Amino acid sequence: MPLLETRDVTVRFGGNTAVDGVGIGVEAGRITGLIGPNGAGKTTLFNTVTGLQRPAAGRVLLDGADITRLAPARRARLGLARTFQRLELFLSLSVRDNVRVAGDVLRATGRKVDVEKETDRVLARTGLEDIADLEVSAIPTGRARVVEVARALMTEPRVLLLDEPASGQTERETEAFAGLLTGLAAEGLAICLVEHDLPLVMRLCTTIHVLDHGRLIASGTPKEIQESPEVVAAYIGSEEVTG
Amino acid sequence: MTTFLTFTILGLVLGAVYAIAASGLVLTYTTSGIFNFAHGAQAMLGTFLYWQFTYGWGWPAWLSLIVVVGVAGPAMGALLHTLIMKGLRETADVTKIVVTVAILLGMVYLSQWIWHPEDARIMEMFFGAGAKIEFGGVVVRVHELICLVVAVAVAIGLRLLFTRTRVGVVMRGAVDDPDLLRLGGHDPDRIAMLSWAMGSTLAVLAGILVTPIGGGALEANQLTLLVIDAFAAAMFGRLRSIPRTFAGAMVLGMAATYVMAFFPTEWTWTGNLRVSLPMIILFVVLIVLPQDRLRVAAVRTRERYRPPTPRSAAVWGVALVAAVFLLALLMDDGSITTFALGMTFAIIALSLTLLTGYAGEINLAPLSFGAVGTIIAFHFGVTGSGLASRLTLWGVLLAVLVTAVVGGLVALPALRLRGLYLALATMAFGVFLSNMVLRDTVEHTVFGVTFSIFPNGTLIVPPLRVGPLDLRDPRTFLMTATVLFALIAVGLAALRAGGYGRRLAAMKDSPAATAMLGQNLVKLKFGVFMLSAAIAGLGGVLMASAGGSVAGDNFSIMASLALVMLTVVGGIGYISGALFGGLMAGVGFTIMVATFNDLAVVHPSMETIYKTIGQLLVVATALIGMGVGENPSGNVHKIVEGYRTLRGAKGLLAGAAAVEAVLYVLALTGVVGNWWFAILTVCLAMALPVAGRMRAEAPVRATPLELAGLDEPYTDELRERLDRELGLPVRERTAGKEASVHAAA
Amino acid sequence: MNEQVPLLELAGARAAYGPIQVLHGVDLKVHPGSVVALLGPNGGGKSTTMKVCAGLLPLTGGELRLAGRRVNGMTAQDAARLGVCSIPEGRGVFPNLTVRENLWAATGTGARLADLEEAAYSRFPILGERRHQLAGSLSGGQQQMLALSRALGTDPAILLLDELSMGLAPMIVTQMYDTVAQLVAEGLSVLVAEQFARVVLPIADTAALMLHGRVVASGRPGDIEDQLSSSYLGG
Repeated sequence: MPLLETRDVTVRFGGNTAVDGVGIGVEAGRITGLIGPNGAGKTTLFNTVTGLQRPAAGRVLLDGADITRLAPARRARLGLARTFQRLELFLSLSVRDNVRVAGDVLRATGRKVDVEKETDRVLARTGLEDIADLEVSAIPTGRARVVEVARALMTEPRVLLLDEPASGQTERETEAFAGLLTGLAAEGLAICLVEHDLPLVMRLCTTIHVLDHGRLIASGTPKEIQESPEVVAAYIGSEEVTG
Repeated sequence: MTTFLTFTILGLVLGAVYAIAASGLVLTYTTSGIFNFAHGAQAMLGTFLYWQFTYGWGWPAWLSLIVVVGVAGPAMGALLHTLIMKGLRETADVTKIVVTVAILLGMVYLSQWIWHPEDARIMEMFFGAGAKIEFGGVVVRVHELICLVVAVAVAIGLRLLFTRTRVGVVMRGAVDDPDLLRLGGHDPDRIAMLSWAMGSTLAVLAGILVTPIGGGALEANQLTLLVIDAFAAAMFGRLRSIPRTFAGAMVLGMAATYVMAFFPTEWTWTGNLRVSLPMIILFVVLIVLPQDRLRVAAVRTRERYRPPTPRSAAVWGVALVAAVFLLALLMDDGSITTFALGMTFAIIALSLTLLTGYAGEINLAPLSFGAVGTIIAFHFGVTGSGLASRLTLWGVLLAVLVTAVVGGLVALPALRLRGLYLALATMAFGVFLSNMVLRDTVEHTVFGVTFSIFPNGTLIVPPLRVGPLDLRDPRTFLMTATVLFALIAVGLAALRAGGYGRRLAAMKDSPAATAMLGQNLVKLKFGVFMLSAAIAGLGGVLMASAGGSVAGDNFSIMASLALVMLTVVGGIGYISGALFGGLMAGVGFTIMVATFNDLAVVHPSMETIYKTIGQLLVVATALIGMGVGENPSGNVHKIVEGYRTLRGAKGLLAGAAAVEAVLYVLALTGVVGNWWFAILTVCLAMALPVAGRMRAEAPVRATPLELAGLDEPYTDELRERLDRELGLPVRERTAGKEASVHAAA
Repeated sequence: MNEQVPLLELAGARAAYGPIQVLHGVDLKVHPGSVVALLGPNGGGKSTTMKVCAGLLPLTGGELRLAGRRVNGMTAQDAARLGVCSIPEGRGVFPNLTVRENLWAATGTGARLADLEEAAYSRFPILGERRHQLAGSLSGGQQQMLALSRALGTDPAILLLDELSMGLAPMIVTQMYDTVAQLVAEGLSVLVAEQFARVVLPIADTAALMLHGRVVASGRPGDIEDQLSSSYLGG
C-alpha cells in the first residue's frame, strides 16, 4: 500500500479545472516522479496534498488515514514535508538557522530532539556545512534548493514532496543532489519528485506519474513512460493535432 | 413613528458621509494596495482649508468648494502618490502602515501649527441650520439633504466611472493584473495616482459635510478620527466592494443614531457607546471575515535586521545603565522625572520590537494596553493613602497578567487574517478604549459594588515599593526603569537568538513554509501578542506612576500612533529603535517644543523664528516617518553600523572617549551648560563614523562576473570562481572559456 | 533576408529574478514578416525571454533592439506603444472585467474599441455572444481567444505569444494557431514560445531551442524538430 495516496482529487479555480480526478500513490523507500507540461497541475496537486489548497472533491490519505480536512501544520506533524518551486526560505535567518528552526518547531510540539546535533547531522548529510553560517539571500539558487530540502528533512518526515528541486542547480550540484535523494529513499523515505529535468527523473524514479491538463495520462516505469505515445504527445504535441 | 423616521433619516445622513469617505478609502486601497490610515487626516486638512477660505477670509462658499474639493483635494492625493506611495512597492505591511500613519500625524501636527488648536472654529451647515424641508411630519435640514444627494451622486458617479469610461475600466483592471495593463500600453502608476486624487477628494468632501452635522466645531484630532470611523464601513466591503461599503456605511450610520435615540437616558455610557460604535462594529466584522488562505510566495521585502547576540545586548545594556546614571548626575529632579517618563515609554516601545520587529505583526495601540495595565494597577495594586500610598509588586504583576489576557482577546479575531487586519483590530481597540473606558468617569453599581473605571478623568498612580526599593525618589525611579528596560531588552535578544525567536522570524518571512514545518501559526501569533501586550502593560503602569497621575488623553490613539511611528523610524527590528522611539514619543516632542519656546521668551526679537523651528521639528519627525519607505530598516542602527568602520581605530576611539570624559567633567562641574554638553556630545558621536570612513581604506569591491579578468590579473583563484559560478567542471578548456568570458563582457 | 534589420533582436541578453540569473546570454532575431518559434523544456528560460522582449523584465546585460534601435530600458507600456503586442503566459485577460471591458482595456495603444470589438467578434463569434460576461467565467479556450483578440484590432508590429497552448485542449490549440497563421499571412511578425513544438513548427520560419538560459540551437524547423525529443525526455 502506498504511504501517501490521492484518490480522485479534483481542484477547480473558478471555471477552470486545474486537477481532474487524479489518483496517485507514493511508496516508502522509493522515489516517485510526477511530471507533465507547465500548467498540468503538478504544483496544485502538491498544494492540495499539503493542505494549502482545498480540493473540490477527492481524498488525500497518509498511511491509510484521511488527511483531506487537516490544516497544513497538522499534516506536517504527521510526517509530510515539502519544498517550494519558488523558494520559500526564511530570508532573515542564516542557512543553519533555516534548518535549525524546523527542529525548534519539532521541540515546541513536544517531540524530544537534540536540535543542535540533529541540525549538524542534516547539514552534513546535505553537504551544506561550508555555507552554514551565510545569509540565505547570499547563496546561489542551486544551493538554496538544497537548504529547502535540508529544512524539510529536519521535520523528520515520512513523505518528502520536492517541487522542482534541481532547477537552478549546476550539473555538479544536480549530481550530488541525485546521490542524496537515492540515499534518503534507501533509508525508507517516500519521495515524490516534480521536476522538469526529465533525464534526472528517468534516472532516479521507480514509478512516474504523468499529468496533462490536470488529468493523469500515464503511470509506469521510466521505460514505459518514455515509450508512451501519449506522453510524447503531451510534451511536444501529437502529429494529429497539426494534421 | 415620526421619531423613528426622523432618526432613520439622520442615520442615513451620517451613513451617507461615512459612505463617501469609505469609498475613497476602498478606491485607493484596491488600486495601489496601500491602506491609507491618513485618509481621515486628509479630510481634516481639506476641511480646515475650507474653513480658512470661507470663514477666515470670507470667500463665498461655492468658490471655497471649487478650490478645496476641485483643486486642493485631488492635488493632495496626486502629490501623496507621486512623492510617497509610489515608492512603497515591495515593502512590508508594517512599512506601508507606518508611512501612512506618519502622514496622518504630520498632517495633524501641520494643522495644529497653522490653526492653533485652542482657538474655537465653527462651521455652519450649508444654507444654515434653519433651512429645513418637511416630508409628512419629518423635518430634514437642507444640509442633511445635501449629504444624501452627494452620497447618491458619488455612488452613481463611481458606478458610471467603473463601467462606462475606459479609465474606470482600466482602474478595475489594475486590481486584477497591473502587468497586463502595462502590456496594453497603460501606466499603472498614472492609474494609481488618479485613484489617489479621487480618494483624497472624497475624503475632503466627507470632512466638509460631516463637520456641521457633528455640531460644527472643527477640531483636528476629532475630525481625523471621525473619518477613521469609515474604516468599519470599508471593512463591510472587505476593502474591495464599493456597493457593500455603501451598505455598511448605512448600517453604521443608523446604528449610531438608534443607539442615541432609543437607549435609556439613564445609561450614562450611551454617549460613549455611540462614539465607539464604529470601532465595535469594525471589530465584529473582523471576527466574521473568512480566514485568509496561506499564500505561497515569501514576503520579499527590503527590510533586513541583524539581531544582536544576547552577549552583546548585555554589554549594551550595562553601557546604557551606566550612561543614564552619569547623565542623571547632570540633571535636576524635574529633568530626571521627565527622563524617567521617557524611559517608561521606551519599555512600551520594546513591546513593538518583539511584536513587529521579530514577529512581523502590528499593534497600533500599544498605549491602550498600557492603559489596561494602569487601570488594573490603580484599582487593585495600591496600598496606603496620600503621600504614603504605594504600588505593590503584586499589583504590578496582576496588571501585567491582565493586560496579557486582554491583548490575547483583542488579537484573537484578527489572528487568522493578514497583518493589516490585526493592525486595524488593535486600532479599533485603542479608539474604543479611549472612548468607552477612559471616559467612564461616573460611578456604576453592579451587583451592589459601586465603582468607576476612570474616576474624575485622572488616575493617581503612586510609585512602586518593593521591599527596600522605593521609587518615590526620581533618581531611583529613573535607574529602576532603565535597568528594567535593559533587562527586558536583553531578554528579548536572548529570545530572538533562541528557538522561539527563530520560529517568529520564520513566520514573519514565510508563513506558508513555517506551517509546512508543523508550526501552528495562530498559536504562535497569539502567544507573541500576549507577551507583547504584557510588556506594554508593564510600561504603562510605570509610565503612569512616573508622572504620578495620568489622564485618559495620555493613552490616546494619536499618542500610540506617534510611538509606533517613531519606533519604526528608529528601527523596529532593533532595541535601539525602541529606545529612540520611546524617548522621543514620551518626552522628546515636549522637550523640543518647550526648549524653543523658552528660547523665544529669552530672545523676544527671534520669537517667531524659534517658535517656527520648534513646530518644524515636530512636523519633521513625521517627515522622517514618511521617509521610512526609503530606509525601512531604521535609522538608529544605521548610525551604529557606521561605528563598525572604527573597529580597528583604537586610537581614534580612545581619543574620542577622552574628549567625551573631559566634556562630562566640565558639565558636572558646571563649567559648560547641559545644552552645550548635549550638543557637543551629539556632534562627536556623529563625527566619529565619518572620521572612521575617511580613515578606512577603500573597501575591496567584488568584481561582477562579467567583468572578471578585464582590469585585474587573471589568477587561478579567479578562474576557479568563474568555474564555480558557471557550474563548469574544474580545469576544462580554460583558454576557450577565457575568450568567451571576454566576449560576453 | 538576413541582410534586413531584424524587427526584434536580443544580443547576449542576460536577465535575472533578483539574485537568480535566468538568462545567460540569449541571441535571437525576428525578421519582419517571419515567425520564430522558441522551443524547449520548462525552466529553459523561454518565458523569461518573452518577458524581456515585452519590457516586463529589465536586462542585466546584453542588448534588446527593436528595428535596430537599442531599447534596453524600455517599460512594458513603451513596448506596447512601439507596437509590441504581448500575450503573456497563462490567461492574458482581466478575470473581473467583462469581455467587452477587456477589449476596452486593450485600447491603451490608441486603437478604437469599435474596431477591436468588430475584429474580435467576427473572428470569435462566441466572444460576441458573451460580451457582457466576466472574462473569469469563460472557459480556458475562450479566455485565450479573448487574449489573442488584443492582437487582432490593435495592429501591432510584432506579436509575442507565450505558451498559447497552456492548459488547452488540442482542438482549441489548433484553432488558435490557425488564427495566428492568418495574422502571419497578413504580414505580422511573431515570436512564439511553445512547449508543444509540433503545433507551432508548421507555421514557423525559424526555430530556436532554449536550454538552461541559452539558445543552444537555431535553424530550420525540420532540423530542430529532430533534436527535440532527446532534449525533452532524455531518451
